[in-house]
Amino acid sequence: MAEYRSVKIKKGKGGWGGPLTVRPTAARPLVYSVTGGGIHPVAQRIADLTGGEAFDGFKSSAPFDKIAVAVIDCGGTARVGVYPMKKVLTVDVHATSPSGPLAMFITEDLFVSGVGTDDVQPA
Amino acid sequence: MTGPGGPATPRGPGEVRYETTVVAVGEMVEEFRGQGVMILFGEQAPEELWEFSVRHRPGTVEGGPAPGDVVEVDGVRLPVLAVGAVVEDNLLRLGHLDLKADGRTDPALPGDVCVPASELPAPRPGSVIRVLRPTKGEAP
Repeated sequence: MAEYRSVKIKKGKGGWGGPLTVRPTAARPLVYSVTGGGIHPVAQRIADLTGGEAFDGFKSSAPFDKIAVAVIDCGGTARVGVYPMKKVLTVDVHATSPSGPLAMFITEDLFVSGVGTDDVQPA
Repeated sequence: MTGPGGPATPRGPGEVRYETTVVAVGEMVEEFRGQGVMILFGEQAPEELWEFSVRHRPGTVEGGPAPGDVVEVDGVRLPVLAVGAVVEDNLLRLGHLDLKADGRTDPALPGDVCVPASELPAPRPGSVIRVLRPTKGEAP
């Protein structure tokens, strides 16, 4: 039986939102990296610290209800809103603030941005 | 004019930086178009992005747009006014582009490609979207 630990993720330089506390569970084990080019280092660090499973969203898709946290590298319009819209905790490695057609879904309790690996710490 | 033995001066569209064919248009694309936004993703994008995305299959992939280039959708030419810092990376790795008809010359967001504030074309499956770099001296 996997054991999961919590991490605290705070906003980085110029970032917005959070901090978020993330703890995967057996029902929601995935650290979902929607970044292209493989698992992003921020997603890998969250997975390493929590015991969650790093998952590449551009290789295959996962159901939303399996995702503990989504890590995106979104420049501010699309991916930035879609995961918060589904109430999935979302970490943007770019320093974006809520904007665009999906801005209404992006809230501080669901979203944090500008995040680097140093902004992810054991909780 | 072409000098002796020199390359022929390209005519018409100039250099094709990127060319792609639309394979699917999500249900929310029309709603986004009403807000002056068009979102492109390569066809390998995860399913949760499909509903608001124009998904496409690239042919020519030379590079991303720069100010002064033209984004062309089924022959409708949109002059590029500004380009955010992560646009080329997004386009080359993910086929991802955020086109904003906001008329800005400084992009509000790092993923934005800004074009004049006017109605965006409505792409359909089979539509061709290109990024063109006009030949020097040629009007965009």
